[in-house]
Amino acid sequence: MNKRILAICLAPGVAFLIWLLAPAPLPDHWAEPEAALIASLSISALPPLSPDPSNAAADDERAAMLGRRLFFDPRLSVNGAVSCASCHRPELSFTDGLPIAVGAGPGKRHTPGLIGVAYSPWFYWDGRRESQWAQALTPLETHFEQGAGRSAIVRLLATDPEYRTMYQDIFADLPDPTRFPRSASPQGGELAQENWRRLDPGLQFDIANAFANAGKALAAYQRKLLPGRTRFDDYADAVARNGAVRQGQLLNRDEIAGLKLFIGEGNCVNCHNGPLFTNHDFHNTGILAGAGQLPSMGRYDGVRLARKDPFNCLGEFSDAPPEQCLELRFARDGNELAGAHKTPGLRNVTLTPPYMHTGQFASLAQVLNHYKVAPTAMLGHNEAKPLDLSRGELRQLEIFLRSLEAKPAAAREWLQSPFSHGRNPC
Amino acid sequence: MNCKLPIALALLFAPVLAWAGEQADFSVITESGNRLNISSGLSPLAINQMHSWRLRLIDADGAPVTGARFEVLGGMPEHDHGLPTRPEVTAEPEPGVYLLQGVRFHMPGRWLIEFGITLGDDADSASLEFEL
Repeated sequence: MNKRILAICLAPGVAFLIWLLAPAPLPDHWAEPEAALIASLSISALPPLSPDPSNAAADDERAAMLGRRLFFDPRLSVNGAVSCASCHRPELSFTDGLPIAVGAGPGKRHTPGLIGVAYSPWFYWDGRRESQWAQALTPLETHFEQGAGRSAIVRLLATDPEYRTMYQDIFADLPDPTRFPRSASPQGGELAQENWRRLDPGLQFDIANAFANAGKALAAYQRKLLPGRTRFDDYADAVARNGAVRQGQLLNRDEIAGLKLFIGEGNCVNCHNGPLFTNHDFHNTGILAGAGQLPSMGRYDGVRLARKDPFNCLGEFSDAPPEQCLELRFARDGNELAGAHKTPGLRNVTLTPPYMHTGQFASLAQVLNHYKVAPTAMLGHNEAKPLDLSRGELRQLEIFLRSLEAKPAAAREWLQSPFSHGRNPC
Repeated sequence: MNCKLPIALALLFAPVLAWAGEQADFSVITESGNRLNISSGLSPLAINQMHSWRLRLIDADGAPVTGARFEVLGGMPEHDHGLPTRPEVTAEPEPGVYLLQGVRFHMPGRWLIEFGITLGDDADSASLEFEL
Protein backbone atom coordinates (compact mmCIF):
# COMPACT_ATOMS: atom_id res chain seq x y z
CA MET A 1 0.00 0.00 0.00
CA ASN A 2 2.77 2.39 1.00
CA LYS A 3 4.59 1.59 -2.21
CA ARG A 4 1.49 2.42 -4.22
CA ILE A 5 1.14 5.80 -2.48
CA LEU A 6 4.82 6.47 -2.99
CA ALA A 7 4.48 5.64 -6.68
CA ILE A 8 1.47 7.95 -7.05
CA CYS A 9 3.35 10.75 -5.29
CA LEU A 10 6.46 10.31 -7.41
CA ALA A 11 4.72 9.89 -10.74
CA PRO A 12 4.21 13.62 -11.44
CA GLY A 13 7.83 14.32 -10.58
CA VAL A 14 9.07 11.52 -12.82
CA ALA A 15 6.80 12.69 -15.62
CA PHE A 16 8.11 16.23 -15.17
CA LEU A 17 11.71 15.02 -15.30
CA ILE A 18 11.01 13.01 -18.45
CA TRP A 19 9.41 16.08 -20.02
CA LEU A 20 12.35 18.22 -18.93
CA LEU A 21 15.10 15.92 -20.07
CA ALA A 22 13.57 14.24 -23.10
CA PRO A 23 14.83 15.83 -26.29
CA ALA A 24 12.31 17.78 -28.31
CA PRO A 25 11.43 15.97 -31.52
CA LEU A 26 13.18 17.22 -34.62
CA PRO A 27 11.08 18.06 -37.65
CA ASP A 28 11.55 16.17 -40.92
CA HIS A 29 12.54 19.25 -42.86
CA TRP A 30 14.05 22.62 -42.07
CA ALA A 31 11.79 25.60 -42.63
CA GLU A 32 12.89 27.58 -45.68
CA PRO A 33 14.48 30.49 -43.75
CA GLU A 34 16.34 27.99 -41.55
CA ALA A 35 17.65 26.07 -44.56
CA ALA A 36 18.80 29.36 -46.12
CA LEU A 37 20.61 30.33 -42.91
CA ILE A 38 22.30 26.94 -42.72
CA ALA A 39 23.42 27.22 -46.34
CA SER A 40 24.82 30.68 -45.64
CA LEU A 41 27.12 29.16 -43.00
CA SER A 42 28.61 26.53 -45.30
CA ILE A 43 32.15 26.86 -46.51
CA SER A 44 30.66 26.43 -49.98
CA ALA A 45 29.31 29.97 -49.55
CA LEU A 46 32.80 31.34 -48.84
CA PRO A 47 33.94 33.38 -51.85
CA PRO A 48 37.56 33.35 -53.00
CA LEU A 49 39.71 35.85 -51.11
CA SER A 50 39.29 39.35 -52.50
CA PRO A 51 42.46 41.07 -53.63
CA ASP A 52 44.02 43.36 -51.04
CA PRO A 53 44.52 46.62 -52.94
CA SER A 54 46.74 47.98 -50.16
CA ASN A 55 49.21 45.11 -50.65
CA ALA A 56 50.51 44.65 -54.19
CA ALA A 57 52.34 41.49 -53.06
CA ALA A 58 49.32 39.92 -51.37
CA ASP A 59 48.93 37.16 -53.94
CA ASP A 60 52.55 36.89 -55.01
CA GLU A 61 53.75 33.34 -54.34
CA ARG A 62 57.30 34.59 -53.78
CA ALA A 63 56.04 36.99 -51.11
CA ALA A 64 54.18 34.15 -49.40
CA MET A 65 57.41 32.11 -49.34
CA LEU A 66 59.30 35.04 -47.84
CA GLY A 67 56.47 35.64 -45.39
CA ARG A 68 56.54 32.03 -44.29
CA ARG A 69 60.24 32.29 -43.41
CA LEU A 70 59.69 35.52 -41.54
CA PHE A 71 56.71 34.03 -39.69
CA PHE A 72 58.78 31.19 -38.23
CA ASP A 73 62.03 33.13 -37.67
CA PRO A 74 62.74 34.08 -34.01
CA ARG A 75 65.43 36.51 -35.12
CA LEU A 76 62.60 38.95 -35.70
CA SER A 77 62.48 39.61 -31.97
CA VAL A 78 64.41 41.71 -29.50
CA ASN A 79 65.73 38.64 -27.70
CA GLY A 80 66.10 36.34 -30.71
CA ALA A 81 63.69 33.86 -29.18
CA VAL A 82 60.18 34.87 -30.28
CA SER A 83 58.70 34.39 -33.73
CA CYS A 84 55.13 34.96 -34.90
CA ALA A 85 54.75 31.18 -34.61
CA SER A 86 55.66 31.27 -30.91
CA CYS A 87 52.14 32.48 -30.19
CA HIS A 88 50.42 31.48 -33.43
CA ARG A 89 51.30 27.80 -33.24
CA PRO A 90 50.18 25.83 -36.30
CA GLU A 91 49.44 22.70 -34.26
CA LEU A 92 46.95 24.70 -32.15
CA SER A 93 45.09 26.28 -35.07
CA PHE A 94 47.58 29.13 -34.83
CA THR A 95 46.72 29.97 -31.22
CA ASP A 96 48.85 29.31 -28.12
CA GLY A 97 46.47 27.74 -25.61
CA LEU A 98 47.19 30.48 -23.07
CA PRO A 99 44.73 32.98 -21.61
CA ILE A 100 47.12 35.83 -22.40
CA ALA A 101 49.99 35.69 -24.86
CA VAL A 102 53.60 35.60 -23.68
CA GLY A 103 56.14 37.00 -26.10
CA ALA A 104 59.32 38.81 -25.14
CA GLY A 105 57.34 39.73 -22.04
CA PRO A 106 53.88 39.19 -20.57
CA GLY A 107 51.21 40.27 -23.03
CA LYS A 108 47.82 41.88 -22.62
CA ARG A 109 45.50 39.95 -24.93
CA HIS A 110 44.56 36.41 -25.81
CA THR A 111 46.13 35.17 -29.05
CA PRO A 112 43.51 34.82 -31.81
CA GLY A 113 43.81 32.11 -34.47
CA LEU A 114 44.87 32.88 -38.02
CA ILE A 115 42.90 30.41 -40.14
CA GLY A 116 40.83 32.48 -42.55
CA VAL A 117 42.04 35.73 -40.99
CA ALA A 118 42.70 37.26 -44.40
CA TYR A 119 38.94 37.60 -44.87
CA SER A 120 38.73 40.05 -42.01
CA PRO A 121 38.72 43.79 -42.71
CA TRP A 122 39.93 44.59 -39.16
CA PHE A 123 42.60 43.08 -36.94
CA TYR A 124 43.19 42.72 -33.20
CA TRP A 125 40.41 42.24 -30.70
CA ASP A 126 39.73 45.96 -30.77
CA GLY A 127 40.30 46.47 -34.50
CA ARG A 128 43.33 48.70 -33.99
CA ARG A 129 44.71 47.68 -37.37
CA GLU A 130 42.87 47.84 -40.65
CA SER A 131 45.23 46.03 -43.01
CA GLN A 132 46.63 42.58 -42.53
CA TRP A 133 50.17 43.73 -43.20
CA ALA A 134 49.83 46.55 -40.67
CA GLN A 135 48.74 43.96 -38.14
CA ALA A 136 51.76 41.78 -38.95
CA LEU A 137 54.11 44.72 -38.32
CA THR A 138 52.72 45.66 -34.92
CA PRO A 139 54.14 42.81 -32.78
CA LEU A 140 57.54 43.42 -34.36
CA GLU A 141 57.59 46.83 -32.68
CA THR A 142 55.69 46.04 -29.48
CA HIS A 143 58.18 45.47 -26.67
CA PHE A 144 56.26 42.67 -24.96
CA GLU A 145 55.57 40.80 -28.20
CA GLN A 146 58.59 40.54 -30.54
CA GLY A 147 59.82 44.09 -30.12
CA ALA A 148 62.73 43.97 -32.57
CA GLY A 149 61.97 47.36 -34.08
CA ARG A 150 61.90 48.29 -37.74
CA SER A 151 65.60 48.99 -38.25
CA ALA A 152 66.54 45.58 -36.85
CA ILE A 153 64.06 43.87 -39.16
CA VAL A 154 65.35 45.75 -42.20
CA ARG A 155 68.97 45.04 -41.22
CA LEU A 156 68.14 41.35 -41.04
CA LEU A 157 66.55 41.48 -44.49
CA ALA A 158 69.58 43.32 -45.87
CA THR A 159 72.29 41.19 -44.27
CA ASP A 160 70.88 37.65 -44.47
CA PRO A 161 71.80 36.54 -48.02
CA GLU A 162 68.68 34.43 -48.45
CA TYR A 163 66.33 37.13 -47.22
CA ARG A 164 68.09 39.75 -49.29
CA THR A 165 67.70 37.71 -52.48
CA MET A 166 64.07 36.84 -51.80
CA TYR A 167 63.17 40.42 -50.88
CA GLN A 168 64.85 42.03 -53.86
CA ASP A 169 63.21 39.58 -56.21
CA ILE A 170 59.79 40.83 -55.08
CA PHE A 171 60.25 44.42 -54.04
CA ALA A 172 63.09 46.86 -54.71
CA ASP A 173 66.51 47.54 -53.28
CA LEU A 174 66.94 47.51 -49.54
CA PRO A 175 68.49 50.46 -47.70
CA ASP A 176 72.20 50.13 -46.99
CA PRO A 177 72.45 48.56 -43.49
CA THR A 178 75.73 50.36 -42.77
CA ARG A 179 73.86 53.68 -42.81
CA PHE A 180 71.61 53.03 -39.80
CA PRO A 181 71.96 51.48 -36.34
CA ARG A 182 70.44 48.17 -35.33
CA SER A 183 68.08 49.84 -32.90
CA ALA A 184 66.15 52.72 -34.43
CA SER A 185 62.39 53.03 -34.38
CA PRO A 186 59.78 55.67 -33.58
CA GLN A 187 58.00 53.01 -31.50
CA GLY A 188 60.91 51.71 -29.44
CA GLY A 189 62.58 52.70 -26.18
CA GLU A 190 64.31 56.05 -25.63
CA LEU A 191 67.56 55.05 -27.34
CA ALA A 192 65.74 53.58 -30.35
CA GLN A 193 63.60 56.70 -30.67
CA GLU A 194 66.63 58.99 -30.39
CA ASN A 195 68.46 56.94 -33.03
CA TRP A 196 65.40 57.22 -35.25
CA ARG A 197 65.20 61.00 -34.88
CA ARG A 198 68.83 61.32 -35.95
CA LEU A 199 68.23 59.56 -39.24
CA ASP A 200 67.75 61.47 -42.45
CA PRO A 201 63.99 61.63 -43.33
CA GLY A 202 64.67 59.95 -46.66
CA LEU A 203 66.39 57.06 -44.94
CA GLN A 204 63.58 56.90 -42.39
CA PHE A 205 61.16 56.49 -45.29
CA ASP A 206 63.27 53.79 -46.94
CA ILE A 207 63.52 51.82 -43.70
CA ALA A 208 59.80 52.16 -42.99
CA ASN A 209 59.00 51.16 -46.56
CA ALA A 210 61.15 48.02 -46.38
CA PHE A 211 59.61 47.25 -42.99
CA ALA A 212 56.13 47.64 -44.53
CA ASN A 213 57.14 45.21 -47.28
CA ALA A 214 58.11 42.65 -44.63
CA GLY A 215 54.56 43.01 -43.30
CA LYS A 216 53.16 42.60 -46.79
CA ALA A 217 55.11 39.35 -47.20
CA LEU A 218 53.83 38.12 -43.82
CA ALA A 219 50.29 38.96 -44.95
CA ALA A 220 50.83 37.12 -48.24
CA TYR A 221 51.82 34.05 -46.23
CA GLN A 222 48.80 34.28 -43.95
CA ARG A 223 46.49 34.44 -46.97
CA LYS A 224 47.49 30.80 -47.51
CA LEU A 225 45.92 29.76 -44.19
CA LEU A 226 42.40 28.93 -45.31
CA PRO A 227 39.75 26.93 -43.48
CA GLY A 228 39.05 23.34 -44.37
CA ARG A 229 35.77 21.55 -45.03
CA THR A 230 34.03 20.27 -41.92
CA ARG A 231 31.31 17.72 -41.22
CA PHE A 232 28.95 20.65 -40.79
CA ASP A 233 29.73 21.88 -44.31
CA ASP A 234 28.82 18.51 -45.81
CA TYR A 235 25.60 18.58 -43.80
CA ALA A 236 24.76 22.16 -44.80
CA ASP A 237 25.29 21.40 -48.48
CA ALA A 238 23.04 18.35 -48.20
CA VAL A 239 20.36 20.51 -46.55
CA ALA A 240 20.68 22.99 -49.40
CA ARG A 241 19.91 20.15 -51.82
CA ASN A 242 16.88 18.58 -50.17
CA GLY A 243 15.99 20.49 -46.99
CA ALA A 244 15.86 17.31 -44.87
CA VAL A 245 16.87 17.53 -41.22
CA ARG A 246 18.33 14.01 -41.14
CA GLN A 247 21.25 13.62 -43.51
CA GLY A 248 22.44 10.10 -42.84
CA GLN A 249 25.27 10.14 -40.32
CA LEU A 250 26.66 13.57 -41.22
CA LEU A 251 25.48 15.15 -37.96
CA ASN A 252 24.02 13.31 -34.99
CA ARG A 253 20.82 14.20 -33.22
CA ASP A 254 22.40 16.46 -30.59
CA GLU A 255 24.48 18.26 -33.19
CA ILE A 256 21.38 18.96 -35.27
CA ALA A 257 19.50 20.14 -32.18
CA GLY A 258 22.47 22.38 -31.34
CA LEU A 259 22.47 23.78 -34.87
CA LYS A 260 18.77 24.55 -34.55
CA LEU A 261 19.48 26.48 -31.36
CA PHE A 262 22.49 28.17 -32.98
CA ILE A 263 20.38 29.66 -35.75
CA GLY A 264 17.32 30.13 -33.53
CA GLU A 265 16.78 30.64 -29.83
CA GLY A 266 20.49 30.86 -29.04
CA ASN A 267 20.81 34.04 -31.14
CA CYS A 268 24.37 32.95 -31.94
CA VAL A 269 23.95 33.53 -35.65
CA ASN A 270 23.25 37.21 -35.09
CA CYS A 271 27.00 37.82 -34.85
CA HIS A 272 28.54 34.45 -35.71
CA ASN A 273 27.20 34.51 -39.25
CA GLY A 274 28.52 33.78 -42.72
CA PRO A 275 30.81 30.90 -43.72
CA LEU A 276 33.46 31.87 -41.18
CA PHE A 277 30.89 32.19 -38.39
CA THR A 278 31.81 35.83 -37.81
CA ASN A 279 30.49 39.13 -39.07
CA HIS A 280 34.01 40.57 -38.58
CA ASP A 281 32.51 43.32 -36.47
CA PHE A 282 32.64 44.50 -32.87
CA HIS A 283 30.12 43.87 -30.13
CA ASN A 284 29.84 44.44 -26.43
CA THR A 285 28.58 41.22 -24.90
CA GLY A 286 29.28 42.06 -21.28
CA ILE A 287 32.56 40.20 -21.01
CA LEU A 288 34.15 41.00 -17.67
CA ALA A 289 37.67 42.43 -17.59
CA GLY A 290 40.53 39.98 -17.30
CA ALA A 291 41.98 39.36 -13.84
CA GLY A 292 43.98 42.37 -12.70
CA GLN A 293 43.06 44.42 -15.76
CA LEU A 294 40.92 47.48 -16.22
CA PRO A 295 37.97 46.94 -18.56
CA SER A 296 39.07 47.24 -22.17
CA MET A 297 37.63 50.15 -24.13
CA GLY A 298 37.69 47.81 -27.12
CA ARG A 299 36.67 49.20 -30.47
CA TYR A 300 36.21 52.70 -29.00
CA ASP A 301 40.00 52.95 -28.81
CA GLY A 302 40.69 50.56 -31.67
CA VAL A 303 39.18 52.63 -34.45
CA ARG A 304 41.12 55.71 -33.28
CA LEU A 305 44.37 53.72 -33.28
CA ALA A 306 43.66 52.31 -36.75
CA ARG A 307 43.16 55.82 -38.14
CA LYS A 308 46.47 56.98 -36.64
CA ASP A 309 48.44 53.98 -37.89
CA PRO A 310 50.95 55.07 -40.57
CA PHE A 311 50.69 51.61 -42.14
CA ASN A 312 46.94 51.76 -42.77
CA CYS A 313 45.28 51.66 -46.18
CA LEU A 314 45.36 55.45 -46.50
CA GLY A 315 49.01 55.76 -45.44
CA GLU A 316 52.03 56.44 -47.62
CA PHE A 317 53.13 52.80 -47.60
CA SER A 318 49.82 51.49 -48.90
CA ASP A 319 49.49 50.41 -52.53
CA ALA A 320 45.81 51.36 -52.68
CA PRO A 321 44.32 54.57 -53.99
CA PRO A 322 42.29 56.26 -51.22
CA GLU A 323 38.95 55.52 -52.88
CA GLN A 324 39.58 51.81 -52.33
CA CYS A 325 40.06 52.16 -48.57
CA LEU A 326 36.36 51.83 -47.88
CA GLU A 327 36.54 50.21 -44.43
CA LEU A 328 38.76 52.93 -43.05
CA ARG A 329 37.00 55.83 -44.75
CA PHE A 330 33.60 54.75 -43.51
CA ALA A 331 34.56 53.35 -40.12
CA ARG A 332 32.31 54.55 -37.34
CA ASP A 333 33.26 55.52 -33.86
CA GLY A 334 31.52 56.78 -30.74
CA ASN A 335 30.61 55.89 -27.20
CA GLU A 336 28.52 52.94 -28.30
CA LEU A 337 31.72 51.08 -29.16
CA ALA A 338 33.07 51.19 -25.61
CA GLY A 339 33.79 47.63 -24.53
CA ALA A 340 33.04 46.18 -27.99
CA HIS A 341 35.39 43.46 -29.18
CA LYS A 342 35.71 41.56 -32.41
CA THR A 343 33.45 38.59 -33.06
CA PRO A 344 35.77 35.58 -33.37
CA GLY A 345 35.09 32.98 -36.03
CA LEU A 346 33.96 29.61 -34.73
CA ARG A 347 35.60 27.13 -37.08
CA ASN A 348 37.81 24.94 -34.88
CA VAL A 349 36.61 26.83 -31.82
CA THR A 350 36.52 23.60 -29.81
CA LEU A 351 40.26 23.22 -30.40
CA THR A 352 41.28 26.69 -29.26
CA PRO A 353 40.52 27.29 -25.57
CA PRO A 354 40.58 29.52 -23.63
CA TYR A 355 38.18 32.14 -24.94
CA MET A 356 37.55 35.91 -25.12
CA HIS A 357 40.00 38.79 -25.44
CA THR A 358 41.90 37.98 -22.29
CA GLY A 359 41.07 34.29 -22.14
CA GLN A 360 38.50 34.89 -19.42
CA PHE A 361 36.71 31.58 -20.04
CA ALA A 362 38.55 28.28 -19.87
CA SER A 363 35.82 26.27 -21.60
CA LEU A 364 33.02 26.63 -24.10
CA ALA A 365 30.60 25.61 -21.36
CA GLN A 366 31.60 28.78 -19.49
CA VAL A 367 31.18 30.86 -22.64
CA LEU A 368 27.71 29.50 -23.27
CA ASN A 369 26.70 30.02 -19.66
CA HIS A 370 27.86 33.63 -19.96
CA TYR A 371 25.53 34.16 -22.89
CA LYS A 372 22.68 32.47 -21.04
CA VAL A 373 23.05 34.97 -18.20
CA ALA A 374 24.03 38.04 -20.29
CA PRO A 375 25.36 40.04 -17.33
CA THR A 376 25.46 43.80 -17.16
CA ALA A 377 28.50 45.18 -18.98
CA MET A 378 31.28 46.87 -16.97
CA LEU A 379 31.60 49.47 -19.76
CA GLY A 380 28.86 50.51 -22.15
CA HIS A 381 25.94 48.15 -22.52
CA ASN A 382 25.62 44.46 -23.21
CA GLU A 383 23.98 43.96 -26.61
CA ALA A 384 23.12 40.34 -25.81
CA LYS A 385 19.92 39.40 -24.02
CA PRO A 386 19.59 36.51 -21.52
CA LEU A 387 18.79 33.18 -23.13
CA ASP A 388 15.97 30.94 -21.97
CA LEU A 389 17.91 27.76 -22.62
CA SER A 390 18.20 24.69 -20.42
CA ARG A 391 21.49 23.14 -19.42
CA GLY A 392 20.83 20.35 -21.90
CA GLU A 393 20.31 22.84 -24.70
CA LEU A 394 23.55 24.63 -23.86
CA ARG A 395 25.22 21.24 -24.03
CA GLN A 396 23.69 20.64 -27.48
CA LEU A 397 25.05 23.96 -28.67
CA GLU A 398 28.49 22.94 -27.49
CA ILE A 399 28.18 19.56 -29.19
CA PHE A 400 27.18 21.26 -32.45
CA LEU A 401 30.35 23.37 -32.35
CA ARG A 402 32.40 20.17 -32.53
CA SER A 403 31.11 19.66 -36.06
CA LEU A 404 33.13 22.74 -37.08
CA GLU A 405 36.50 21.06 -36.62
CA ALA A 406 38.71 20.56 -39.67
CA LYS A 407 42.32 20.78 -40.72
CA PRO A 408 43.17 23.94 -42.67
CA ALA A 409 42.79 23.81 -46.44
CA ALA A 410 46.44 24.62 -46.92
CA ALA A 411 49.35 22.63 -48.31
CA ARG A 412 51.49 21.09 -45.58
CA GLU A 413 54.40 23.39 -46.33
CA TRP A 414 52.39 26.41 -45.18
CA LEU A 415 51.67 24.78 -41.84
CA GLN A 416 55.22 24.06 -40.75
CA SER A 417 58.46 25.89 -40.26
CA PRO A 418 60.77 26.13 -43.28
CA PHE A 419 63.72 25.73 -40.93
CA SER A 420 64.56 22.04 -40.86
CA HIS A 421 64.48 19.84 -37.75
CA GLY A 422 63.12 22.64 -35.64
CA ARG A 423 66.52 24.36 -35.70
CA ASN A 424 66.44 28.07 -35.74
CA PRO A 425 68.20 30.00 -38.48
CA CYS A 426 71.36 31.68 -37.38
CA MET B 1 6.44 30.81 -36.03
CA ASN B 2 9.86 31.89 -37.28
CA CYS B 3 8.89 31.53 -40.90
CA LYS B 4 5.86 33.77 -40.34
CA LEU B 5 7.91 36.59 -38.87
CA PRO B 6 9.21 38.08 -42.13
CA ILE B 7 5.69 38.04 -43.57
CA ALA B 8 4.30 39.74 -40.50
CA LEU B 9 7.00 42.41 -40.60
CA ALA B 10 6.52 42.97 -44.31
CA LEU B 11 2.80 43.53 -43.73
CA LEU B 12 3.55 45.80 -40.79
CA PHE B 13 5.79 48.07 -42.80
CA ALA B 14 3.87 47.88 -46.07
CA PRO B 15 2.43 51.41 -45.76
CA VAL B 16 5.83 53.06 -45.62
CA LEU B 17 7.98 50.61 -47.49
CA ALA B 18 7.90 49.32 -51.01
CA TRP B 19 10.14 46.34 -51.51
CA ALA B 20 10.95 45.73 -55.12
CA GLY B 21 12.01 42.12 -54.83
CA GLU B 22 15.43 41.27 -56.20
CA GLN B 23 16.24 44.90 -57.01
CA ALA B 24 16.57 45.70 -53.27
CA ASP B 25 14.89 49.06 -53.86
CA PHE B 26 13.00 51.05 -51.27
CA SER B 27 10.83 54.12 -51.52
CA VAL B 28 9.86 56.35 -48.60
CA ILE B 29 8.07 59.68 -48.22
CA THR B 30 10.03 62.31 -46.33
CA GLU B 31 8.64 64.43 -43.54
CA SER B 32 8.04 67.34 -45.92
CA GLY B 33 6.41 65.27 -48.65
CA ASN B 34 9.33 64.58 -50.95
CA ARG B 35 9.99 61.04 -52.13
CA LEU B 36 13.26 59.24 -51.52
CA ASN B 37 13.88 56.27 -53.82
CA ILE B 38 16.72 54.01 -52.72
CA SER B 39 18.58 51.56 -54.95
CA SER B 40 21.13 49.23 -53.44
CA GLY B 41 24.29 48.46 -55.34
CA LEU B 42 24.13 45.00 -53.77
CA SER B 43 21.27 42.92 -55.05
CA PRO B 44 19.88 41.03 -53.28
CA LEU B 45 20.78 42.90 -50.13
CA ALA B 46 23.02 40.76 -47.91
CA ILE B 47 24.96 41.01 -44.68
CA ASN B 48 28.71 41.59 -44.31
CA GLN B 49 29.34 43.24 -47.67
CA MET B 50 30.38 46.85 -48.09
CA HIS B 51 28.39 48.50 -50.85
CA SER B 52 26.77 51.75 -51.99
CA TRP B 53 23.22 53.02 -52.31
CA ARG B 54 21.86 55.51 -54.83
CA LEU B 55 19.39 57.91 -53.29
CA ARG B 56 17.02 59.67 -55.70
CA LEU B 57 15.24 62.60 -54.05
CA ILE B 58 12.23 64.02 -55.92
CA ASP B 59 9.50 66.46 -54.93
CA ALA B 60 5.77 65.80 -55.04
CA ASP B 61 5.72 66.71 -58.77
CA GLY B 62 8.52 64.28 -59.55
CA ALA B 63 11.16 66.96 -60.10
CA PRO B 64 14.67 66.20 -58.78
CA VAL B 65 15.65 67.89 -55.52
CA THR B 66 19.24 69.00 -55.93
CA GLY B 67 21.90 70.24 -53.55
CA ALA B 68 20.62 68.30 -50.55
CA ARG B 69 22.94 67.27 -47.74
CA PHE B 70 22.42 63.96 -45.98
CA GLU B 71 23.19 62.56 -42.58
CA VAL B 72 22.56 58.83 -42.42
CA LEU B 73 22.16 57.09 -39.08
CA GLY B 74 20.55 53.86 -38.07
CA GLY B 75 20.85 50.57 -36.32
CA MET B 76 18.97 47.64 -34.89
CA PRO B 77 16.49 48.76 -32.23
CA GLU B 78 16.10 45.21 -30.93
CA HIS B 79 19.82 44.99 -30.17
CA ASP B 80 20.41 48.58 -29.04
CA HIS B 81 23.22 49.18 -31.49
CA GLY B 82 23.84 51.36 -34.49
CA LEU B 83 25.18 50.76 -37.95
CA PRO B 84 28.57 49.05 -38.18
CA THR B 85 29.79 51.80 -40.51
CA ARG B 86 29.35 55.54 -40.98
CA PRO B 87 27.83 55.84 -44.47
CA GLU B 88 28.32 59.16 -46.23
CA VAL B 89 26.89 60.79 -49.32
CA THR B 90 30.02 61.48 -51.34
CA ALA B 91 28.64 62.75 -54.64
CA GLU B 92 25.57 63.91 -56.56
CA PRO B 93 26.37 62.26 -59.92
CA GLU B 94 23.19 63.58 -61.54
CA PRO B 95 20.59 66.11 -60.39
CA GLY B 96 18.72 64.76 -57.39
CA VAL B 97 20.68 61.50 -57.31
CA TYR B 98 23.10 61.02 -54.43
CA LEU B 99 25.75 58.35 -53.96
CA LEU B 100 25.72 56.92 -50.44
CA GLN B 101 28.95 55.00 -49.80
CA GLY B 102 30.04 52.84 -46.89
CA VAL B 103 26.85 50.84 -46.35
CA ARG B 104 27.22 47.51 -44.60
CA PHE B 105 24.95 45.43 -42.39
CA HIS B 106 26.41 42.83 -40.10
CA MET B 107 23.45 41.04 -38.59
CA PRO B 108 20.23 39.50 -39.86
CA GLY B 109 17.09 41.08 -38.43
CA ARG B 110 15.19 44.37 -38.44
CA TRP B 111 17.14 47.48 -39.39
CA LEU B 112 16.11 51.10 -39.05
CA ILE B 113 17.79 53.76 -41.22
CA GLU B 114 17.19 57.44 -40.57
CA PHE B 115 17.99 60.06 -43.18
CA GLY B 116 18.54 63.61 -42.02
CA ILE B 117 18.19 65.84 -45.10
CA THR B 118 19.19 69.50 -45.23
CA LEU B 119 17.91 71.66 -48.08
CA GLY B 120 19.36 75.12 -47.68
CA ASP B 121 17.95 76.30 -44.38
CA ASP B 122 15.23 73.66 -44.34
CA ALA B 123 15.48 70.35 -42.54
CA ASP B 124 13.75 67.24 -43.77
CA SER B 125 13.92 63.63 -42.70
CA ALA B 126 12.87 60.14 -43.64
CA SER B 127 13.13 56.76 -42.05
CA LEU B 128 13.30 53.29 -43.52
CA GLU B 129 12.74 49.97 -41.82
CA PHE B 130 13.44 46.61 -43.35
CA GLU B 131 14.15 43.02 -42.48
CA LEU B 132 17.40 41.46 -43.59
